[in-house]
Amino acid sequence: MTQVNSRRIRSTLLGYGLLAPSLFGVVCFLLLPMLVVVWLSLHRWDLLGPIHYVGLANWRSVLTDPSFGNSLLVTCAFIAIVVPTQIVLGLAAAAMLARELPGTGVFRALYVIPWICSPLAVAVLWRWILAPTDGAVSTLLGRRIEWLTDPGLALPVVSAVTVWTNVGYVALFFLAGILAIPPQIHAAARIDGADSWQRFWRITMPMLRPTFFFVSVTGVVSAAQVFDTVYALTGGGPAGRTDLVAHSIYAEAFGAAAIGRAAVMALVLFVILVGVTIVQHLYFRRRISYDLT
Amino acid sequence: MITRPRSSMLVLTALLTVTAVLAGVVVWLGRTEDPAGKTIVTVRLWDEQVAAAYRESFDVFSRTHPDIEIRTNLVSYATYFDTLRTDVAGGGADDIFWINNSHFAEYADNGRLMAVTPSPEWDSSVIGQFTRAGVLWGVPQLTDAGIALYYNADLLATAGINPATLGEARWDSNPSIDTLRPLLARLTVDSNGKTAAESGFDARRIRQWGYNAANDLQGINLNYIGSAGGVFADGDRFAFDNPQTVVAFHYVVDLINRDNVAPPASDTNDNGDFSRNQFLSGRMAVLQSGTYNLAQIAEQARFNWGIAMLPTGPAGRVSVTNGIVAAGNPATRHPEAARAVLDWLGSTAGNAFLGRRGAAIPAVLPAQRAYFDYWSAKKIDVTPFFAVLDGPRIEAPGGAGFGAGYQAIKPYFDEMFLGRRPVAQTLAAAQQAANTAAQR
Amino acid sequence: MTSPSRGNTVIYTGLLVAAVLTVAPFALSLLTSVTSAQQFATGTPLSLPSPPTLSNYTALGDAGFGRALVVTALMTAIITLGQLTFSVLAAYAFARLEFPGRDGLFWVYVATLMVPGTVTVVPLYLMMAEMGLRNTFWALVLPFLFGSPYAIFLLREYFRAIPADLLNAAKLDGANTLDVIVHVVLPASKPILATLTLITVVSQWNSFMWPLVITSGGRWRVLTVATAGLQSQYNAQWTLVMAATTVAIVPLVVLFAMFQRHIVRSIVVTGLK
Repeated sequence: MTQVNSRRIRSTLLGYGLLAPSLFGVVCFLLLPMLVVVWLSLHRWDLLGPIHYVGLANWRSVLTDPSFGNSLLVTCAFIAIVVPTQIVLGLAAAAMLARELPGTGVFRALYVIPWICSPLAVAVLWRWILAPTDGAVSTLLGRRIEWLTDPGLALPVVSAVTVWTNVGYVALFFLAGILAIPPQIHAAARIDGADSWQRFWRITMPMLRPTFFFVSVTGVVSAAQVFDTVYALTGGGPAGRTDLVAHSIYAEAFGAAAIGRAAVMALVLFVILVGVTIVQHLYFRRRISYDLT
Repeated sequence: MITRPRSSMLVLTALLTVTAVLAGVVVWLGRTEDPAGKTIVTVRLWDEQVAAAYRESFDVFSRTHPDIEIRTNLVSYATYFDTLRTDVAGGGADDIFWINNSHFAEYADNGRLMAVTPSPEWDSSVIGQFTRAGVLWGVPQLTDAGIALYYNADLLATAGINPATLGEARWDSNPSIDTLRPLLARLTVDSNGKTAAESGFDARRIRQWGYNAANDLQGINLNYIGSAGGVFADGDRFAFDNPQTVVAFHYVVDLINRDNVAPPASDTNDNGDFSRNQFLSGRMAVLQSGTYNLAQIAEQARFNWGIAMLPTGPAGRVSVTNGIVAAGNPATRHPEAARAVLDWLGSTAGNAFLGRRGAAIPAVLPAQRAYFDYWSAKKIDVTPFFAVLDGPRIEAPGGAGFGAGYQAIKPYFDEMFLGRRPVAQTLAAAQQAANTAAQR
Repeated sequence: MTSPSRGNTVIYTGLLVAAVLTVAPFALSLLTSVTSAQQFATGTPLSLPSPPTLSNYTALGDAGFGRALVVTALMTAIITLGQLTFSVLAAYAFARLEFPGRDGLFWVYVATLMVPGTVTVVPLYLMMAEMGLRNTFWALVLPFLFGSPYAIFLLREYFRAIPADLLNAAKLDGANTLDVIVHVVLPASKPILATLTLITVVSQWNSFMWPLVITSGGRWRVLTVATAGLQSQYNAQWTLVMAATTVAIVPLVVLFAMFQRHIVRSIVVTGLK
């Protein structure tokens, strides 16, 4: 008996010992800040003066603020444009790469490069390319298009830059999924007379469901946090057209110095993301026959 | 399976060694290079020309104070005040930093600035701007004088315009009184050589701009508002929603979008240097701006240029004038050293360096001569900047919450200057948004 | 049956178009960065630099980019080292040890994956300021040093799949936990470790919001912050700004090019199992 007990104690000590650093990190730098954010949301602070308690005033102020509503809407629109587009393009690229024609390796590596680069640097780069005066595109076209200040164009442009950055990376995951499909299945289907389109829709696509799930969950979560791109490209855009939530939280905290309100916004973002992830999880759960985790 | 169990200890040791090496590099990078025994005082500002003048000034200071070394920290204006706030709040701001009228109020109110005893030698209008609750909150460093018109004499000659006419220009919403607009139209040229005053002018292919009408608070907006008899702010509140201000903005916005004599706002809204750069490249005939650009223009302009007085508006010729102070950080680790540097900055000898190369007009009155001497030696007549101050002035806005309010205004004004939203409505909405944001 | 070569042509065309779209912006940026400012201002923006010049890069050196490069490299190295080490330990504990509260704790870790970085920025800033760590190197590094729930999550899956026999055999040979990890678990996990290293290096090198908020001035400025600062200070001086983006981008691309086959293959292999 005591032998088992002492073994169990040792195992527990060992387990927690190994966990200690990461536990410290998670508690200090993830859980504790969450609590602090909740606390901050009930206070008013402009960084320079004292912090005072204001109860739910910030919540009321943020939830009725039209510019926050605008921010959420813009973020939703952004996600709705970016995630499906990068999935479709990523899938197309993966399908082409999966043929494994000679030279594919080079292409595969090239496509990932935008993702490797810092979104900040990428945004600054595109800022020049799209600059109406002295920009690459303007010079090529010979005419001036206000890519970043036209209210109709700004959000599509920011979305396009984000998609451009992510497609290669997304394609890799689809490529993995496609290559993981046992070739026997395709072979059997071919024998049965299915052509490549049919094989694609009836075999490949369904078997890619885990990939779709992964890519759309991570896509949504990361699209909801895009900041660098907005900071460098539009600063929130013409009349808030590209004021993505992460950017408006930053602007509220460090530009307008309203920390309490920024905390409220951050919490709202968190709740929405959790909700969206749960919904996606539930949607895909019934449809995946593979154990993803 | 395990051939040499102890090699995992090797791996561990290797890991620890690498970590130690990296940590060592970090510590080495972080060493504060304190030349033995010296106290380091940091001064933060945004103007490159003045920073150069400061370096000369501090060299002299170090001779009498060998134990103090002063370092300048240049931060771009675009991010200056955002980063200042987080730095001050985080306790890590420079010992001395520049601050302007618009932003100092909240720092003063929260005890983030050192109180300073006013000296009779300092420009009284700057002292007035930076006195709040009866206390002066910084050492006046420079005053901007008023706003005037820089003009490209060569382009004016080509258009057959006498610079004297420029100096007497009047702007008004009534076309029979308005002489500024037609003048600027003659100075705006498209790639076919047609001016905006001629038919067949192609507004999409402009190779020379007449003017720098834009969303420029100090260079354009405030002066037009003042010259129309309007106000921008009233104490701590934004108050630009009034009929005269509407008239002023209408005029400016039309210059950009209807008359095409100024670059589109999409170029100027996010780039405060755009117009000046166009002027310096010889692509803009008239630049309405202040003494803060004088040194750079004198240095870099490759054409004949001159200075004329600000246009007169319906309510006269009203300019804004601004001062800058060097404020002390009460959280500094070296209060005596910081005070010594502040004293030097506020002294005639120390402040004179700003004027010596014409970088800025010293706020210490006896030191101002250096500035005038410098420019008269260069045969440049700077009187238009000063003559305009003989008349009424409009105050630069400020007050607690100004930063937040001004940030809230930006999207509205951007749209207004782009010509996409009507002026009166936008001003009303912007004022509301600004005051709400400022009060948070 | 349509001729395979026609299908192949279509595919190659598609791949090529995508490649051009991907690479063109970088090529343009590189070209501009070696164009002298005068030529850029007087000529058309897209003209070839004649002659190419490194003046923009030396100007960057004056603007403190050399130091920013070093700081960024250091920060990335230290965080990657710390994160991987502690994540491996934690993942092993979750995957192969038994102790009370193990599964509950694991789900807590996974739950924190949902916390967006934006949410924690302000409280972390507050905490660092209170501890007097604002604008220090440690402030840059501490929040990320102690392991990443994402890495722990991925690693745990991988570790769980390692056949128990391997581990038992090692233990029978007298190996302690450290030995098991170093000699059995790690070698078996090379692909996932390579992937994680890449992901960590990339995300730390490119980190922007946190360094932006927690550092100021030149001492601990990282590349991303330096690039943004340059852009706002030298607005529309595109030759200079493009040099900055090139400096920010090139090191990672070079690193990637060196290890790309291994890395890409490992992402493909570990992708989703």
